[in-house]
Amino acid sequence: MKYMLKKITTLIITLLLVSVVTFVAFSVIPGDPALAKLGTYATPERVEALREEMGLNKSLPERYVDWLSGAVRGDFGESYQYAGTPVSELINQRLQVTAILAVMAFIIILVISIPMGIVSARKEGTWIDVFINLFTQVTMAIPAFFLGMILTYFFGLTFKFFQPGKFVMPQENLGSCIRYLIFPAIAIAIPKIAMVVKFLRNSVLSEVKKDYVRTAYSKGNRTKKVLYIHVFQNALIPVITFIAMVAAEILAGSIVVEQVFSVTGMGRLLVTAISNRDYPIVQAVVLYITVIVIIINFIVDILYQFVDPRVRTE
Amino acid sequence: MGEKLLEVKNLTIGFPEETGMRTVVDDVSFTVGYGEIVGIVGESGSGKSMTVQTIMGLKNRDAHILSGEILFNGKDLLKMSDEELSKIQGNDMSMVFQEPMTSLNPVKKIGWQVAESLKIHTSMPDDEIHGRVVEILANVGLPKPEELCQKYPHQLSGGMRQRVMIAMAMICWPKLLIADEPTTALDVTVQAQILQLLRKIHMEANTSILFISHDLNVVKEVCQKVIVMYQGKIVERGYTEEVLYHPKHDYTKHLIASIPRNKEDIREDELVMQAKDLNVYYSVKERGMFGKKENKHVLQNVNFHIRRGEILGLVGESGCGKSTLAKCIVGLNKNYTGTLDIREEHPQLVFQDPYSSLNPMKKIGWILEEPLKVHGMKDKAKRKELVSQMLTQVGLDPSYADRYPNELSGGQRQRISIGGALILNSKFIVADEPVSALDVTVQSQVLNLLLDLHRTHQLTYLFISHDLNIVRHFCNRVIVMYLGEIVEEAEVEEIYEDPKHPYTQLLFHSILTDERKLQKITDVEQSREDASANGCPFYHRCMSRSDVCREKRPERINLNPEGQDPHWVKCFKYQS
Repeated sequence: MKYMLKKITTLIITLLLVSVVTFVAFSVIPGDPALAKLGTYATPERVEALREEMGLNKSLPERYVDWLSGAVRGDFGESYQYAGTPVSELINQRLQVTAILAVMAFIIILVISIPMGIVSARKEGTWIDVFINLFTQVTMAIPAFFLGMILTYFFGLTFKFFQPGKFVMPQENLGSCIRYLIFPAIAIAIPKIAMVVKFLRNSVLSEVKKDYVRTAYSKGNRTKKVLYIHVFQNALIPVITFIAMVAAEILAGSIVVEQVFSVTGMGRLLVTAISNRDYPIVQAVVLYITVIVIIINFIVDILYQFVDPRVRTE
Repeated sequence: MGEKLLEVKNLTIGFPEETGMRTVVDDVSFTVGYGEIVGIVGESGSGKSMTVQTIMGLKNRDAHILSGEILFNGKDLLKMSDEELSKIQGNDMSMVFQEPMTSLNPVKKIGWQVAESLKIHTSMPDDEIHGRVVEILANVGLPKPEELCQKYPHQLSGGMRQRVMIAMAMICWPKLLIADEPTTALDVTVQAQILQLLRKIHMEANTSILFISHDLNVVKEVCQKVIVMYQGKIVERGYTEEVLYHPKHDYTKHLIASIPRNKEDIREDELVMQAKDLNVYYSVKERGMFGKKENKHVLQNVNFHIRRGEILGLVGESGCGKSTLAKCIVGLNKNYTGTLDIREEHPQLVFQDPYSSLNPMKKIGWILEEPLKVHGMKDKAKRKELVSQMLTQVGLDPSYADRYPNELSGGQRQRISIGGALILNSKFIVADEPVSALDVTVQSQVLNLLLDLHRTHQLTYLFISHDLNIVRHFCNRVIVMYLGEIVEEAEVEEIYEDPKHPYTQLLFHSILTDERKLQKITDVEQSREDASANGCPFYHRCMSRSDVCREKRPERINLNPEGQDPHWVKCFKYQS
């Protein structure tokens, strides 16, 4: 319990720090948001009036407090581009899409890489291991956007498994949305699978050399049991941290892949918002992504307790 | 007895290398009868561990069995399939390993780990298995076995973990127990308990034991027969007494003679060092963002002195504060109160681990020159000359200056550490377990070097060791520490003949020289929390405690007030 309390306090402090950094970063970017909103031909009086209305004349800390209290309630102001539409509304729609995409990619990564990593370690030095190594070397080097293009070409244009460009929002038809997202998810997953496989393989191989494994054999355990009952849980401990890092990278990967597959998710929203200097959206998306990453790390810390008794009983 | 349980015939094992096969076990044959305890003695690299791991079916994948057979109950283990072998492993034959700290699975509960062999080899129902586990944990002397089942290895001390290992190995009542250096990693008092336990098991279950050790004293204590291995070959075998008292092979003679020469007494009255009411602290930071800095009180009211030319031994269990005191004296820990009066410039430290205490990226010459540079000696030629003189003094050729540490053996490295300590012409050396990482025969060479230097350079040593046999031969006077306090201090002969403090008695009776003494040891597991804040630190383990011991800390008293050499002890038993 003390452990949880400590972790939660650390979490809150980190979140506050992140919000400060995000806010300050966008405040020091040159350019006047009021001017950007009105266009270059606006009269100075109108700009000044809008600045007053938007609260830009207040001091930095005051504006931070205003912004933060809004953000906590899910209110990030209005988009400049889509005048009148609240930022939160724009984000919430797209967040669902990206969330589905990320979760799918994550599941694909886990389902494929964990068995593959274990097999690769078990069959160390055999042709299977060599083949898996080759696979990981190659796929690690392929960038996700290129993979996306290849997948679009083969599965979209040639085999017609999905119609490129005809993305369906989950609100309309969840089934076809998921069907469409399978391929972008694969594009995100493949390079990450390679990394997790390599990491898990090395983790298992270094565990296998430890003394307790020798003890397990001396009790009459066969290799399979030693591996799944003794080694696996220990080998997983470092891998969990690594998988959390991968989860964070999936979000970054989705920004690019959403472009390639024309998926209207957070990534696309972010990219268009950046090119339109729609700062409220950019600010909110960046905050969302960082908060999600931090929360994933928090979950990992909690998960650790279940896998590693040394953390639990400290 | 007599009937053969295990018979190893002409076993030869090798590792393939570029230049051909390197033989590590060479034509080894021996037998272990039912109910027999056989010891295998040898240094690291003698092939003893390889031999027993092969018997147990745990040999390295790269090792090739070139010839021979291992008959267990008449069947050749080497010809068995993995499946047949795994039915014997843990059931008829089991093993206790050297490293209790790492040989248990860190993420599994103790109860589960002990039960595992039973689950593999029998179809007993779970509650019956649990009953057996609790029974055997109690049987190996572990308190509160029910609670223990729910604990994890990291919550246990080294001695307790080794007991768990033994319980684990014994749960199926095997015919053969292989114990590979089971006590090497443990403190002296714990070592004695574990040996006692092994003998108890042998008596009760008539289990045959194959006992591997580098320590002759230990082997003498438990084994009926002994085999001496050297460079992969058996060089001598026979009944333990016979081999130890009438060795035939040169190597065995060498091994038995590996007890250092006796010291000379060159003590003067002048003091080199004096500590008065020394309290040493150690600051530890808690983990995490909000970790507090905590000042741990490691040494409490330490009073002692060292005379010029003296070799003062400092003994105690791991964690009692020996190394903290060493660091404090050489100035590596300034966090203390009280007075520490050192009348010799630059006291130097010789470290325990010769493998990690020398920078692997630098040549020996550079390592030895460094202290000279630090102390402002600019003349390069002079430095080089001093280094080559020093190498000669520590028994190495001056050409070693051009080598890197990894080209040297453990003993040679320790010679370099000693050279580094002496190169500034220091007369006062603090040696923290300088030989405990070395093989027995190398130990005696390094100790003899230290004794030579002591005489020729008129050096003063503070010699920290957990090996009481070495201390007896090496030191003039001994101080005994327990949980940060000096509990007894006396001349070496006096303290060995007639230890006064209950802890010293426990410690010195644990040295395995005398059957009767070993019987007398009764001890409980210790932990730092046991020491109550105001009472005697040894209260919870003491055999002769009284009520006053719980409430108050004893002052030190001199048991020999008339004589020239004081005998200090901190115990209420002697206060009147």
